[in-house]
Amino acid sequence: MKYIEHVNALIRKNIADVDNLVCFGQNISAGSCISGMTKGLKVKPGSMVINTQNSENSLVGIGFGLMLSGVNAIFFMKQLDFLILGIDHIVNTYNIVRQENPKASFTIVAVVVDSGYEGPQSAFNSFADICSIARVPGYTVTNKADAEEILSSKLVAPGFRIIGISQRLFKTELIELEKSYSNPNSEIFQYMYGKDATIACFNMSLPYGLELQKKLAENNIHASLFSVNAMTPIDWHKLLDDAKATKNLVILDDSKSANKSCHMLMADAYRTCRLENCILVERELSPKWFRPTSDAFEISYEKIIAQLSQKHH
Amino acid sequence: MAHPSSHQDAHGDSHHDVSSELEVARNMLRLRLSQMIINEMYKKGDFKVPIHLALGHEAIAVAMDAIMQPADSLVLSHRNIHYNLARIRDLKPEIDEYLLEDNGIAAAKLGSMNLSNPKHGLVYTSSILGNNLSVGAGIALAKKVKQENGLTIVVIGDGAMEEGSFYEGLEFLKSNELPAIYIVENNEWSLATRIHERRCYIDVEKLAASFGLGYARLDSNDVFEYIKYLKHIREKSIEAKTVYVVEVMLTTLGHWMLKIQDPPGEKFINYHAGPAPTINLIEWPIIEEANTDPIFILKKHIDEEKLKQLSSKVLEFLRDNIK
Repeated sequence: MKYIEHVNALIRKNIADVDNLVCFGQNISAGSCISGMTKGLKVKPGSMVINTQNSENSLVGIGFGLMLSGVNAIFFMKQLDFLILGIDHIVNTYNIVRQENPKASFTIVAVVVDSGYEGPQSAFNSFADICSIARVPGYTVTNKADAEEILSSKLVAPGFRIIGISQRLFKTELIELEKSYSNPNSEIFQYMYGKDATIACFNMSLPYGLELQKKLAENNIHASLFSVNAMTPIDWHKLLDDAKATKNLVILDDSKSANKSCHMLMADAYRTCRLENCILVERELSPKWFRPTSDAFEISYEKIIAQLSQKHH
Repeated sequence: MAHPSSHQDAHGDSHHDVSSELEVARNMLRLRLSQMIINEMYKKGDFKVPIHLALGHEAIAVAMDAIMQPADSLVLSHRNIHYNLARIRDLKPEIDEYLLEDNGIAAAKLGSMNLSNPKHGLVYTSSILGNNLSVGAGIALAKKVKQENGLTIVVIGDGAMEEGSFYEGLEFLKSNELPAIYIVENNEWSLATRIHERRCYIDVEKLAASFGLGYARLDSNDVFEYIKYLKHIREKSIEAKTVYVVEVMLTTLGHWMLKIQDPPGEKFINYHAGPAPTINLIEWPIIEEANTDPIFILKKHIDEEKLKQLSSKVLEFLRDNIK
């Protein structure tokens, strides 16, 4: 099964029985239905699916208007870049709405355009950035387990949040991992335990973390694998406890941001753990970001393996 | 013109006919005098929150209050004092909110520019120009989903009409057959700039017509005419599931002349926000003996002596109310 098929199935499952729901967005029930993400949406009688006009700013405001009136709303958005047009509502409207503690739900499901070659105006891939601007709850989805937990508990639930779906993963085989831990708010997930190293993946970098974990295992280095799916700060004591035990922390963050969430983890790790290695893998700030280019996250696995092997042996 | 809705008013009376001439006049005077009292406190420095007084805007607010039904929703902007006072029919909770007291309308959570009051149909207020238009469209859509037969009324100024969300909101409402009224309070000013100083002329009637929407221009400052007209278009809007854009021409009273030295003379300063230095609390609260003042227009319908007596009683009540 492909990643996007799984996401689509979960969306359909989690809206099917919701009363008073409006699913809306551009082309959500026409054409490719956002490359399959919103294909076949069916809602209960009385609820609605609306193919809307192209007015992202207003559409975010409309979602808040529905929510204030006690109607659940999901805005499916083709690109996270487009959501920047709705920043006024994400910041200013939400600052009012959040004081009312609304019982209705408003969720924006946005596709993070991290597949590359789309040009200068599709360079924004840092999901936490858009959340942090107004401390909006937000969750990335990268695999079978986190998709199930996040879409089941967050797609329709009181309050407002944004859910980020990775375009890079759309047509890839669904990553199936067994979750061993997630915190109560589904902000951090652990998939594997290892005594030798701790891998922490931010934004949409879990597939790279998984690859690293496998390559390390081939070299007899056993690593724990975590994914931080939400804007920080969050309670990541479980991750830090693991790093304290392994003394080797590898942080991966594929977001193109100057202020990355992973830096906060690094600071916490330095403050609280006696580490032998703290390896940060991030993108090099580069003008290439603003050109049609591959969005692949370049990681020198060999270098990491070499560094950890040295200490390990 | 009779309007049967009943309210508990500032006098503690209930079950009266709010659109009877005297009751409407009392509401007009209450709004004017309440703002004058707030202005006196403002001049003394009692408020930390920025307040946009709406002296001269009373007719549209009282008319809107008179035609609103329980299922209707009002969506406001930063200059909202007149609608809040009209709907709450009380002064003290408004002042308490401005003083950021727990007894305020919104328990000191919203202050002035975002002041709403859902219990009285004021569901959302935004201080960002044009922001409330799309939230209003969502509120209108929610009524359709919930099969409520109410109307959504969004109030903006002529400045917000320049935002893209004005166009986008109309488009959404029309596309989804949602009844709504856009009230454009056109005082021709956006802070210190007149319309002709900042943009080209926009023919709002033609703009509305291009969407297939209704349009009206209200410019008489006559609250009784406004009630009659708004009642009519409220029914038409709900019946036809369409939007009316109502451009209300008005003057925000409270301007002053600033003495300047080079070259010697005076400069007109439009009232935008803050205390209005030239406005003082007086028992008979006409500010301009002209059609620009909706209190002056009341004299077309009601004897001046009667209005003065009524004004005196309203002021006495308001003073007791805030003691």
